[in-house]
Amino acid sequence: MALTSTPFLSYHEIQVDNIDIYEDAFGFYQEFSEVIKLLEQLKPVPKKRLTKRLIERVRQMN
Amino acid sequence: MKKTMSDYELIEQFVKGEQSCFEELIRRHKNKVFAYISLYIRDQALAEDLFQDTFLKVIQSVKCGKYYDNGKFISWVMRIAHNLIIDHFRRVKQLNTVSNDDYESDLFNSKKLAEDNIEDHLIKRQIQKDIRKLISQLPDDQREVVILRHYSGLSFKEIADITDVSINTALGRMRYALINMRKMMEEAKISLTYN
Repeated sequence: MALTSTPFLSYHEIQVDNIDIYEDAFGFYQEFSEVIKLLEQLKPVPKKRLTKRLIERVRQMN
Repeated sequence: MKKTMSDYELIEQFVKGEQSCFEELIRRHKNKVFAYISLYIRDQALAEDLFQDTFLKVIQSVKCGKYYDNGKFISWVMRIAHNLIIDHFRRVKQLNTVSNDDYESDLFNSKKLAEDNIEDHLIKRQIQKDIRKLISQLPDDQREVVILRHYSGLSFKEIADITDVSINTALGRMRYALINMRKMMEEAKISLTYN
């Protein structure tokens, strides 16, 4: 029987950023990993000109 | 310096007259706000207007002293965006007739894009189009939870607060949304393996 060992992680090495405890408890990532991976491929960002125009409008307000 | 300041510190400095502090807040949170609005509103021009209106409304509210820090500035901003979207739908009442055909956005990081070949680019573009279509076909309440969680990065507690439902309801909506999207992916034979 092949044995695999799990490396020991210290408390500070455990990554908890962006972990939602409710989501974690519901196991969405385990159950729907392929759907979530697909969702992660979309990253909508505003066009540069839109951000620039917004900042100009903010400056005009003051 | 500004990049290390908290949201609340930036707001405080902005209220005192430091204009550039609000610009830092915009740069910090623009993607989350834009993702929420642009995935919820199918008309690109309208989404851009609401994106700007959200931040202008934030300024008005901050100047009127309506923001009290509880460490959740982005949740508050998202609630404002949410309310502006609801107001819009109340005014127009034509949610299902808005076209998404001419949607164009800077979906790709340009440096990354330059490294990809044309074929990769076209495949990626098609997949992103498919994802948008999947999201747009979800019922409104499920779509909102998916967008707020996966594209705006809010916790389920924050999503429940913004949408005025319990955390369990928000979680239930997410579960139904994921089940529905899986079903649609199977029906549409959308590739899951693109990297």
